Amino acid sequence: MSSTLRIIAREENGTVLAKVIIPHPNESGTRKDEQGNIVSAYFIREGSVKVNGATLLDIELGPSVSKDPFLQFRFTGKKGDRLEVSFLDNRNGHFVADAVVL
Amino acid sequence: MKRRQFLALGAVISSFISAWPAKLLGVWSEESFQQCSLKQSFINAFGTSDPVRSEALTIVAPPVAADSSAVPVEVHSSLRGDQLYLFVEKNLTPLVFKCTLHGGALPFFSLNIKMKESSALYAVVRDGGKYFMASVQVEVVAQAC
Repeated sequence: MSSTLRIIAREENGTVLAKVIIPHPNESGTRKDEQGNIVSAYFIREGSVKVNGATLLDIELGPSVSKDPFLQFRFTGKKGDRLEVSFLDNRNGHFVADAVVL
Repeated sequence: MKRRQFLALGAVISSFISAWPAKLLGVWSEESFQQCSLKQSFINAFGTSDPVRSEALTIVAPPVAADSSAVPVEVHSSLRGDQLYLFVEKNLTPLVFKCTLHGGALPFFSLNIKMKESSALYAVVRDGGKYFMASVQVEVVAQAC
């Protein structure tokens, strides 16, 4: 498993589709391991997406998101727009990446 | 600068650096994401328990999910909307995500979710201060092997 946040954004007819994968165990805090012990909660809680410095999305995520969250969103944009994403988990782990729209 | 002052300054700076991501975002609502019933979760998230049903909102999800730990779900809306929500009725924490749209963001959001058991999914969009919802049923089959 790669440990870096991956992001790809592609423009088509004035609409950009962006895909983000965050490598993260994303434990809900309710799952039990083989010994029956509860695995403590460890998941991505917040995210924000900026395009050319302006906020595009504010995301709040709950524990029901799958392991290695894979998010997709769309916005009106053009090739060359600069996309910045940042995510924060419940242990204050911070994940950031940026990409240029293709 | 004396060594003592230098260390104190370093401690102050590093405490700011370690605190800034939490301060930058820090919008996560403990209340919205607590374990409760679907109705209570609606109330916690946006203050009303019965949003209007609407055709404008679409949830794309497989009717039968083979792997309940990663069910691909897509929510999109023909209403412009400025907030999107997704709920899974029978999960311990019904609210999956809340997404606030700004600027050129289109009302579309897709992700993989975990489902405890077969359940209805509810998507809600806020448009002009009103809440609209749509729902779809997803059956989870026990994982073979």
